Amino acid sequence: MTNQEHIMHTCPACGLLCDDITGETIAKQQFSCGKAAKFYARTTSGSQPQVGGKNVPLADAVKAAAGLLKQAEAPLVAGSSTDVHGARALVNLAQHTGAAMTHLNASSTLRNMKVLQHRGWQTTTLTEVRNRADVILMIGTDVVTHNARFFERVVWVNDAMFTEPAARKVIYLGGDKLNTKPGVAPDGRTPEVIECASEHLPEVMATLRALVMDKLVTADDVAGIAVSRLKAVAETLKAAKYATLVWVSKDLHYDHAELTIENITETVVALNQKSRAMGLSLGGSDGDTSVNYTHTWLNGVIIDAPEWESHDAVVWVNSYSPEAMPPADTSPVIILGAPDSKFETAPAVFIPVATPGLDCNGQQFRVDGSVTLPLIAAKPSDLPTLTQVVAMIQAQLQGDLA
Amino acid sequence: MITLLKNAKVIDPAHNKDGVVQDIYIRDGRIIAKPADSEKIGQVYDLNGKIVMAGAIDMHSHIGGGKVNIARMLLPEYQAMRKLQEPEAHICGANCSHHATPNTTDTGMRYIEMGYTAAFEPAILAVNARQAHMEMGDTPMIDKGGYAMLGNDDYLLRLLSQNADQKTINDYVAWTLHATQTIGIKVVNPGGISAFKFNERRQDLDQLHSYYNITPRRILQALSRAVNEIGIAKPLHVHCNNLGVAGNFQTTLDTMGASDGLPMHLTHIQFHSYGTEGDKKFSSAAANIAEAINNNKHITADVGQILFGQTVTASGDNMMQHLNAKVANPKKSVIMDIECDAGCGVVPFKYRDENYVNALQWAIGLEVFLSVDDPWRVFLTTDHPNGAPFTSYPHLIRLLMDKSFRNDAFDKLNLDAQAMSNLKSLDREYSLYEIATMTRSAPAKLIGLQDRGHLGVGAAADITVYTDQADKEAMFAKPDLVFKDGELVVKEGKVIKVVWGATHTAKPSFDTGVEKDIKQYFDRYHTMQMQNFKISNDHIAEDGRNHVINHAQG
Repeated sequence: MTNQEHIMHTCPACGLLCDDITGETIAKQQFSCGKAAKFYARTTSGSQPQVGGKNVPLADAVKAAAGLLKQAEAPLVAGSSTDVHGARALVNLAQHTGAAMTHLNASSTLRNMKVLQHRGWQTTTLTEVRNRADVILMIGTDVVTHNARFFERVVWVNDAMFTEPAARKVIYLGGDKLNTKPGVAPDGRTPEVIECASEHLPEVMATLRALVMDKLVTADDVAGIAVSRLKAVAETLKAAKYATLVWVSKDLHYDHAELTIENITETVVALNQKSRAMGLSLGGSDGDTSVNYTHTWLNGVIIDAPEWESHDAVVWVNSYSPEAMPPADTSPVIILGAPDSKFETAPAVFIPVATPGLDCNGQQFRVDGSVTLPLIAAKPSDLPTLTQVVAMIQAQLQGDLA
Repeated sequence: MITLLKNAKVIDPAHNKDGVVQDIYIRDGRIIAKPADSEKIGQVYDLNGKIVMAGAIDMHSHIGGGKVNIARMLLPEYQAMRKLQEPEAHICGANCSHHATPNTTDTGMRYIEMGYTAAFEPAILAVNARQAHMEMGDTPMIDKGGYAMLGNDDYLLRLLSQNADQKTINDYVAWTLHATQTIGIKVVNPGGISAFKFNERRQDLDQLHSYYNITPRRILQALSRAVNEIGIAKPLHVHCNNLGVAGNFQTTLDTMGASDGLPMHLTHIQFHSYGTEGDKKFSSAAANIAEAINNNKHITADVGQILFGQTVTASGDNMMQHLNAKVANPKKSVIMDIECDAGCGVVPFKYRDENYVNALQWAIGLEVFLSVDDPWRVFLTTDHPNGAPFTSYPHLIRLLMDKSFRNDAFDKLNLDAQAMSNLKSLDREYSLYEIATMTRSAPAKLIGLQDRGHLGVGAAADITVYTDQADKEAMFAKPDLVFKDGELVVKEGKVIKVVWGATHTAKPSFDTGVEKDIKQYFDRYHTMQMQNFKISNDHIAEDGRNHVINHAQG
């Protein structure tokens, strides 16, 4: 075993940022998570900068990218799938080219942000849940689709300081085709599953909030669910020592989903009048939390949603999702992306950049927003970092083309 | 190259200089003794008649870390676009900022323009320290540093409830300073943030924690002793129990005795100086608090002055902020439990002079300032952004230096509040020497920055040059010149050069064997590896702008 195999790595393949991945695990490709396996199996070899689909030296690609940005009147920095350092570079690039900036998860991030900005919220973090939660209500999500190791690392753990982990009550509410199997307790206890279609979640969640607030609900059932069942859930939440209400904004993909999120967070606020409860927003990927936070402290405002039609050049960054691309009719596109980027049509410029946690070191925010973890290159390569490439483009803009 | 500041009228309380006219020589960022006649002077600034002080140091300002960034996210309605000129535009183009929670660029720029050359983030959740340093690393112009929060972290509470010996606690405290790259230790509502997680709503100084069976007093004893014994300069930074509660002055007085005579710093003491007299059961206890500070020489305090207008409060004290959320303006708030380490509460407030409580809060802060005799033991803060944004410091300085200006402001207050305050009977007007003490020499001494806050030979050449004016607000809002580490960076109140400052830390020695138990704790209960909790010097310096300055134990 080499020294490299003793190093502990943080996996940026989802927002959970599991930091217990050993070099040996990576070397042997033995993961309990498909996303990690896919991430660490990626290869960086053989990728060259391209202009118009043809391999060129890096300097030429940088020059071409700078030329396109110089011509553009309203450029857009998008995708933005990167870590904190990459986000700093992209904010800088956006500021100095007059570009708008967005992230490929901006629309789901904004569902949460609208609630935060309208009402605020009361939330918790993974270690609190791991040690305190006795009731976990999953609303419209199974979590594991996004954060595969959530139950392994947070719920069915061996030790917790203030509760008996194996005795936790897990309740799934709503959603379509949820994978509820991870909610089965180690002793075989099955979770309570209250099924309803996703599009009915708004009324079901509004009813649950009303019941928690002891409002009169006259209907017998809501979206096919007996109100008495929801009342029992409300009572369970009220009786809990530390109820945790979990949602993933990406799973709430219907119009005005922010209102459902607000019903979740305001249910928490109501519970906290007398008992303890907290919300937990999960999901998170492609560095979305990192980019939003960094953008906020550098710019004073959160990241916004893209308006593709109003831009005449796009810088697309896809460090973590090589398959993610801007809308097909976007042009011209400069991709500063993973070396294994997959595009059907050759972009105007493609510059392969290092992926944090794979090719280079970095720092990333976990999905719960309070913890930042260092990323260590699992397969160090000589690919330039996003920061380096952006600096080269800016030097070109300020120099030759200025 | 040697720079000469000629004919400076020096106000340097660290060296008992009050208006002494002298020449200051700078080389390689440091103040040096008068060089030999043969040495070449590269630059000369004739400061004839100008007031010269060391760069000011804000020892308590929430400039980095999760709370502040959440506050930025929470209040889009108070963000406003600003168009920056060079050289600010060089690092930040279309700049959008809110006066109470400026973005990182604005934070550094506005501080240096007022002659401040360092600011210390007083509430770094240990688990959030990496973010705090990232934000502070993106804050240009000034030096930074922070105090790590302990006293609601389950690891320490477990140690105390198991009657761990003081050495173990000392080692853990020292380890935390190393791990978080901080220079001091803070405790917020000792035990209370933790108790809130167990559904307690109040934690008094001698009340047993419902789970750990220890009192806040015990936490304060253990931490103040640890801070003292590991040998760092900065005394334990204490945000008392019962923040903002009418009648809390007694808790504050009792807290002064909780360190058994060891040095202790009580922070934003204005929020902890409330009585219950009068029809509204809310009164000023500033006189009691000031008298106690005067009599207890081991106590220092910063004020946390409130000034009228819109701001946002950002505190680790989520127990009390959960209560305060009811009076949020605008009506929204963020309350968080964080990682078995601490919590946070972000609540917007609009302080209004026609509001009885707000008006009295304003008066209480000033009463404390004017009634504490020793400017070495009381510090000028607004608890930015909690009482007011740091950009209001020049206004606050004028309130302290100009009795008639202060009394005119008092006359506009809510009449019931006027009736409950003795502020108008306080005739004291701070001198420039006292202002220099409380904003330069005293904070440097308190934090342990031996080469800052003064103008002696060997000091870092962080220097602010003012034109003395009758209007002290105008004087302190716009210094003529500011030098950061010997470089001229501000001229006529405007930044002319961008620099990045450094991060100040204190890393006392400790028994590394303590990590064995800490690692076990992380492995059993945490969702991250202990190794990732620790921040290296390289992580602070990795973007090439920042660097760590470690201060000798003192």
